[in-house]
Amino acid sequence: MLHNKSFVKKTKGGKVMKQVREHYLRDDIYCGTPSCTVCDSSGARLSDSASTILVVDTNVVLNQIDLLENSAIDDVVVLSIVLEEVKNKNMSVYNRLRAICSNSNRKFFVFSNEYHRDTYVKEMSGETKNDRNDRAIRVAAQWYQKHLGGAVKVLLVTNDKENKRKASEEGICAETVESYVKSLDRPDLLDLLVRPSSEDAEMEDVEDHRPSKRKVIYSEHKPMSEITSGLHRGIYHQGKLRVNRYNPFEAYVGSESIGDEIIIYGRSNMNRAFDGDIVAVELLPEDQWQGEKSLSIVGEEDEDEDEDVHLAPNSADDAPRTTPQQGSTGVTNAGSSRPSGRIVGIIKRNWHSYCGSLEPMPMPGGSRGVAYALFVSKDRRFPKIRIQTRQLENLLDKRIMVSVDSWDRQSRYPSGHYVRTIGEIGDRDTESEVVLIENDINSRPFSAQVLACLPPLPWSVSSEDLSIPFRQDLRHLRVFSVDPPGCKDIDDALHCYALPNGNFEVGVHIADVTNFVFPGTPLDDEASQRGTSVYLVERRIDMLPKPLTEDVCSLRSDVERLAFSVIWEMTPEADIISTRYTKSVIKSAAALSYVEAQARMDDSRLMDPVTTDLRNMNSLAKKMRLRRIERGALTLASAEVKFQIDTETHDPLDIGMYQIREANQMVEEFMLAANVSVAQQILKSFPLCSLLRRHPTPTKEMLEPLLRVSAAIGLNLDVSSSKALADSLDLAVGGDPYFNKLIRILATRCMSQAVYFCSGDLSPPEYHHYGLATPLYTHFTSPIRRYADVIVHRLLAASIGISKLPSVFQDRLQLTSIADNLNYRHRNAQMAGRASVELHTLIYFRKRPTDTEARIVKIRSNGFFVFVPKYGIEGPVYLTTRAEKGSGEWYVDEQEQKIKKMDGSLSYSILQTVQIHMEVVEPQPNRPKLQLTLI
Amino acid sequence: MEYVSPEGLRLDGRRPMEMRQIRAEIGAVSKADGSAVFEMGNTKVIAAVYGPREVQNRSQQLSDQALVRCEYSMANFSTGDRMRKPKGDRRSIEISLVIRQTMEECILTHLMPRSQIDIYVQVLQADGGTRSACINAATLALADAGIPMRDLVTSCSAGYLNSTPLLDLNYVEDSAGGPDITVGILPKLDKVTLLQMDSKLPIDILENVMQLATEGCKAIANYIREILLENTKELEYRRGS
Amino acid sequence: MVGLSLGEQHFIQGGIAQDLRCDGRKRLTYRPINVETGVIPQANGSARVRIGATEVIASVKAELGKPGMGQPDKGKVFIYIDCSSTAEPAFEGRGGEELSAELSTALHRCLLGAKSGAGAGIDRTSLVVVEGKICWDLYIDGLVVSSDGNLLDALGAAIKAALSNTGIPSVKVTPGASNDEQPEVDVSDEEFLQFDTSGVPAIVTLTKVGRHYIVDATPEEESQMSSAVSISINRKGHVCGITKRGGAGLDPSVVLDMVSVAKHVSEQLMNKLDSEIASAEAEDES
Repeated sequence: MLHNKSFVKKTKGGKVMKQVREHYLRDDIYCGTPSCTVCDSSGARLSDSASTILVVDTNVVLNQIDLLENSAIDDVVVLSIVLEEVKNKNMSVYNRLRAICSNSNRKFFVFSNEYHRDTYVKEMSGETKNDRNDRAIRVAAQWYQKHLGGAVKVLLVTNDKENKRKASEEGICAETVESYVKSLDRPDLLDLLVRPSSEDAEMEDVEDHRPSKRKVIYSEHKPMSEITSGLHRGIYHQGKLRVNRYNPFEAYVGSESIGDEIIIYGRSNMNRAFDGDIVAVELLPEDQWQGEKSLSIVGEEDEDEDEDVHLAPNSADDAPRTTPQQGSTGVTNAGSSRPSGRIVGIIKRNWHSYCGSLEPMPMPGGSRGVAYALFVSKDRRFPKIRIQTRQLENLLDKRIMVSVDSWDRQSRYPSGHYVRTIGEIGDRDTESEVVLIENDINSRPFSAQVLACLPPLPWSVSSEDLSIPFRQDLRHLRVFSVDPPGCKDIDDALHCYALPNGNFEVGVHIADVTNFVFPGTPLDDEASQRGTSVYLVERRIDMLPKPLTEDVCSLRSDVERLAFSVIWEMTPEADIISTRYTKSVIKSAAALSYVEAQARMDDSRLMDPVTTDLRNMNSLAKKMRLRRIERGALTLASAEVKFQIDTETHDPLDIGMYQIREANQMVEEFMLAANVSVAQQILKSFPLCSLLRRHPTPTKEMLEPLLRVSAAIGLNLDVSSSKALADSLDLAVGGDPYFNKLIRILATRCMSQAVYFCSGDLSPPEYHHYGLATPLYTHFTSPIRRYADVIVHRLLAASIGISKLPSVFQDRLQLTSIADNLNYRHRNAQMAGRASVELHTLIYFRKRPTDTEARIVKIRSNGFFVFVPKYGIEGPVYLTTRAEKGSGEWYVDEQEQKIKKMDGSLSYSILQTVQIHMEVVEPQPNRPKLQLTLI
Repeated sequence: MEYVSPEGLRLDGRRPMEMRQIRAEIGAVSKADGSAVFEMGNTKVIAAVYGPREVQNRSQQLSDQALVRCEYSMANFSTGDRMRKPKGDRRSIEISLVIRQTMEECILTHLMPRSQIDIYVQVLQADGGTRSACINAATLALADAGIPMRDLVTSCSAGYLNSTPLLDLNYVEDSAGGPDITVGILPKLDKVTLLQMDSKLPIDILENVMQLATEGCKAIANYIREILLENTKELEYRRGS
Repeated sequence: MVGLSLGEQHFIQGGIAQDLRCDGRKRLTYRPINVETGVIPQANGSARVRIGATEVIASVKAELGKPGMGQPDKGKVFIYIDCSSTAEPAFEGRGGEELSAELSTALHRCLLGAKSGAGAGIDRTSLVVVEGKICWDLYIDGLVVSSDGNLLDALGAAIKAALSNTGIPSVKVTPGASNDEQPEVDVSDEEFLQFDTSGVPAIVTLTKVGRHYIVDATPEEESQMSSAVSISINRKGHVCGITKRGGAGLDPSVVLDMVSVAKHVSEQLMNKLDSEIASAEAEDES
């Protein structure tokens, strides 16, 4: 057991504390080439016949990860010191590198040089950490060369001039990335390269296209030490920068230190920061704070970027909050109270890849086809990015992905490099792909390892399944499902029987996904990563492979399926008397659509058993719903739209608001009840490691926009509790049928989103679900399309003693990180769904300019936002054209939420109905948008 | 946090089933009747044994067996962050008790009625696994003092991080908050005399982790036997000369 | 503590009178001294000193702190001594506290001088980073692992060795911070400043047995003493502190005589220590 290895003590003076860690050096770390006679080759990853093995330097990984991800680069040795340095510098690059290393199709080998007896290097006195690590890399490269002998060439790829020079002196072959890629004779790879900044080795023969008389455009970023001390002393404020979706020149930094949002106007104040960056902000003197302009729809230095039509944001998290102006009753709007600032430094960059297209430009007649182009991101929040390409003619009509590399003070735009081509602009598949990429959704087919976890197909209930003692045979029950039409992934089914004592037995049967998805398998890992199925307008990206989603798990009619059942005994008054949970086998009698179910209930002639069950359930559900609303549950509304899609072309044929029927509400009611019951059960058994869902109570500030609107139209909303809010929303009936719904939509937008969490991380009062007005809630009823439900199924199974709790539940940190990932995926799925709807709206209206009715939902200084009920679209309408901006013809009355013409001849107020014309225009190439104009 | 890399190495370069370097030395405190230093990596403890001798406090005297007492203390400089470590805090009292109970069980106390044996353990450096190191040092010190024992007692810990059982956790791994099992065994009799665990662990994993710790104890026992044998040979040589 | 028969007592006293002690030493001869440095890796400096069977460990930890009121130009130094019960069963529980306190104050006096820091053996001004705002605080911890007499000298030697082993991280102060605020400090983890120990004194304890005094007394000899005087003397031969620990009264002229003897002995001790420290450091490096 005892390994007698010499060991070196590594001291690391963190703060002032001296820490000592043991560091064992080993003789059993192998080189990873399969042909090596000395080393154990069982873990070898490099190819057998490699003529060249690359050893990459940290700077190459950090800057050229896009190149490394290209399959043309192989036989790479990744040193553990490089991994460590990358991890410290950039976690996302580290994860990408790790992914390449673990991909069995790539030939990347991790060599733990830091633990190898012969390649560990001790820090020399006077040597900086960087120099020491560079030396470690060279020593490892040298070791490889010596170890492998002359048969293989070991090439150190580094862009560090000093490291390259020293390597050459020590007799190691070293090249820069550029010269190495050039030697491969693959011009397309050259585009992937990040252009080196001045300290690095120069790219020998690339001429600088940028003008030589460069002037400084942005002010300098302060050094980190100054920022830290500034933050400490309260003159700088730290926060995450969020750029306004509607106006890229306006951004917000939520600062804890001043307890408010700081507004940043204009590119020069934003000082090269990107959306999502953690920045340090300095407040501007109060006389430079801008009030009125903050409420305008577009910024004043808008050169060529343009506003877009977006669908309504669905919650307060999406849209930047606008706090009201205090006491601005008069006509003058000078002296606003909103703090404005400028960015003095960037604490953490949030750079990643962006989707978009190149700004059209004439083909340059230059030599060798190297051209500079400007990339325009699809997402308006990001500035244009300058890239260098050798394949310009191929890219001009394509959607491409581009990464940002740097942004220096002299450049108006950041520099970046081409990553890959997605497809042709305007092509629906390409644009859908863009939606997926922008929302970080994995739509790749499932890997072979994942598919290997599926049960043998075709699958059917076997006698073994039936013989398991805890699995109850419920095939005799009349179970049926109610779902949207055409639904293939049927998660849930119901049954309802009258009992002799006058009570009802109601069962909710949920697909028993955990019978097929076992913890720790590749299938489970994949599902956990995906987190949720994603529903786009024309396609669905499954969380689980199709055979499970549509067949094995789906509770289809007339086939026997495994289920996890929650069965209640309820009084006719819908009081739950008892609850039991069991795994079961069911056979669904009917798979109904909402419309069918509704039709059956409404048709008084029908008296068949299923219809009777439906009616019984509906009456119970109505009582449950009433009780829930009495408790203070909110009936919120969102602008969900539905497309009719042409089955051939997949083009949208019609568009309209999604209609909600009683049958929908009935099913929803029982699902809510099942989720609540399960939440209680799992929390009782596992108070520290249950996965629950909470919805935080909105703060006063969040409700502010709603209150302002309601005050302006003379509506009195009580927001003191969810019950009070629900009641006053019920009372808010205006002159027209749509009024109430509109108010509800506005209210919904003020709420934050519900989130998953691990029960051990919060205290019980925080478990509360505001929207549903229940102290406990979780997700149990859709395990086919949500991973949270899979986790909850495992918890429930363990709590009733039929299986063991998997080991992740021992690890609260891991559980928390799963919950965080689920929230992230959930949000992205929603955003992607919305973006997809937006995309199809555009396609739909491209051929159909339309006149319709719209409602004003937000007043701005030069126009207003309208909401189009019929199509669920929200967008800006301008009263002043851009040329006459600031002419002061219109002014805003904050109090009454009105925009008035100076001469008083015309005014528009909030919630007012207006007639508008909608048409797709393309003011800028490749950025079509839906334009709304008043008629 | 990644405690075991995908390459199967722990933060300090060990593999999951490897123990830190151990080192022992007999006779560190020449005035004591028996003493030893025991190191497990950067954890270093000194144990000194005084006795068997007259019972100091008559009221504690036992007529049928020896009185075994133990005191555990940590030096101010033993941990990374300097702290005054008052004697007799809860943790010290608990560890003293654990060591005393473990050692008392293997000392043939009935052979030495009306006498007293004192075991003092001083932690010079703490880097995880101090409990185990103390017990191992105490065993050696008792053997050095020539106190009759049923068997050696050896101890080792094991934990479970990143879904991997890990032998002999160091301070960083110990602070990860995962389960940590300390096992003490009588190697020849193959009996477990000490078993402590914090945090939750499923039963089947517990079995694996405990098995691992037991293997560690056995390895330490072999090492301790070697050290004792060497020491005895040296004594023999000195007497002969 | 040490139970000696009358005969034994006479033997010890007689030996001292004839300048031939029980272990064969002369009155002013030390037992073999052994120094190891860097024994506690997580401390900024540490040393173990063995004199005969006496073994002590000293460690130095440096922490950033604020200079005390009224002494803006000086860092702070704290000395704490602990007596481990491994050294002596009597130290069990709170048994060692009295001795620990006595040793701590004696060392404090010998090394740090008066409250004002005037005439201190350890130069505290070198510990200041920004005057009045930031300084290094040195925490010196001594541990008696095995006690076989002459603890104070051993501890003094160990502290001296530990200090010369101490590397204090170099710090960079962020400029530009205004006067009334606490400046930000960057601590480098690569560069260390060697603590200057040339002025740190050595401690010589003279134990008076009968009419003579001896150095480096064993516990048996200590039990026969009439009084003991500890004198700390630096390289330049300056007395840095004197402690007389109990015992019978002394004639002032005897005290002065003792000081001059101590000065003479300390030179030899200091040379011995320096060479031991140097060889220990060399060993530590390799």
